[in-house]
Amino acid sequence: MADGGGGWQPPRPCEAYRAEWKLCRSARHFLHHYYVHGERPSCEQWRRDLARCRDWEERRSAEAQRSLCESERARVQAAQKHALVWTPRQSPPADWHLPLPQEEKDE
Amino acid sequence: MPAAPRAGPGTQALEPSPLPIVKPTSEGVRLPSRGCVCGWWRSLTAGRRLLPSLTRWFWTLSLSSNLASSAVNTDRHFSCEDCHGHIVLCQNNIRSEAHMSRVVTHELIHAFDHCRAHVHWFSNVRHLACSEVRAANLSGDCSLVNELFRLRFGLKQHHQTCVRDRAILSILAVRNISKEVAQKAVAEVFESCFNDLEPFGRIPHNKTYARYAHRDFQNRDRYYSNI
Repeated sequence: MADGGGGWQPPRPCEAYRAEWKLCRSARHFLHHYYVHGERPSCEQWRRDLARCRDWEERRSAEAQRSLCESERARVQAAQKHALVWTPRQSPPADWHLPLPQEEKDE
Repeated sequence: MPAAPRAGPGTQALEPSPLPIVKPTSEGVRLPSRGCVCGWWRSLTAGRRLLPSLTRWFWTLSLSSNLASSAVNTDRHFSCEDCHGHIVLCQNNIRSEAHMSRVVTHELIHAFDHCRAHVHWFSNVRHLACSEVRAANLSGDCSLVNELFRLRFGLKQHHQTCVRDRAILSILAVRNISKEVAQKAVAEVFESCFNDLEPFGRIPHNKTYARYAHRDFQNRDRYYSNI
């Protein structure tokens, strides 16, 4: 977590938390989520994060900062919890940016 | 650009070759940077018409009755070209802008996977399965509306059923393996690859989701430096 005294700010603007919460609660998202996961979405975490973001903006609350960081780290870990099927690259393939052979360009 | 060779009902892979053979779907194909079988093919078809030894083989491929009763002309009916890592779109099989967008997104996901990981497209069917699961999941191929148009009805968790089925179909279209092998590969990688939502971070069901994914991407430096 970045040092709160060194210019820390919420990972997302408070407006982004509000937009995510609103989207999560929409009927359309309910339908998408049910279609994909077979259950209703849970939007409570977005609401909490929005409240903490506003709390930090108004009072620079250390508790709000800690909770926000914890919540976002949990999201990152949830996205990375499955073992990868393949080995990640450190850079794109060597031939990725090579031009096409001249005869293909001429077609 | 010459049309890419097309697979369709009744077509099969050519005889086993030491070089990989990529059979595209009727919509488009991502061609990795490997040579095709052109040299071998040219030696067999020398000239504009198939050698007689191959004619009987094509009869047994269950081609359409029109094609089976006509001579097959290699210049007209086949395209054999080097594959240089670009996306080929079969423009006459793409029906609308939305369809094109979906096909391009599908192929770009394969290109993205090729760029970010060591994907062994031809020697590891699990790698291919993973990319096909991701492409079916994230491209819009399996939206509720598209499934309804295919007369495949389902709601609760049906998206996952569609992703599995379409990934298996895609694998079978480009690899000469049995359905059981394809199903096993998809089953083994499904949990990991279905939940790999890169580069979006979410399934982009519509423009709103895509806009939010782009916003998160633009915000990534602030995000990762403050958690």
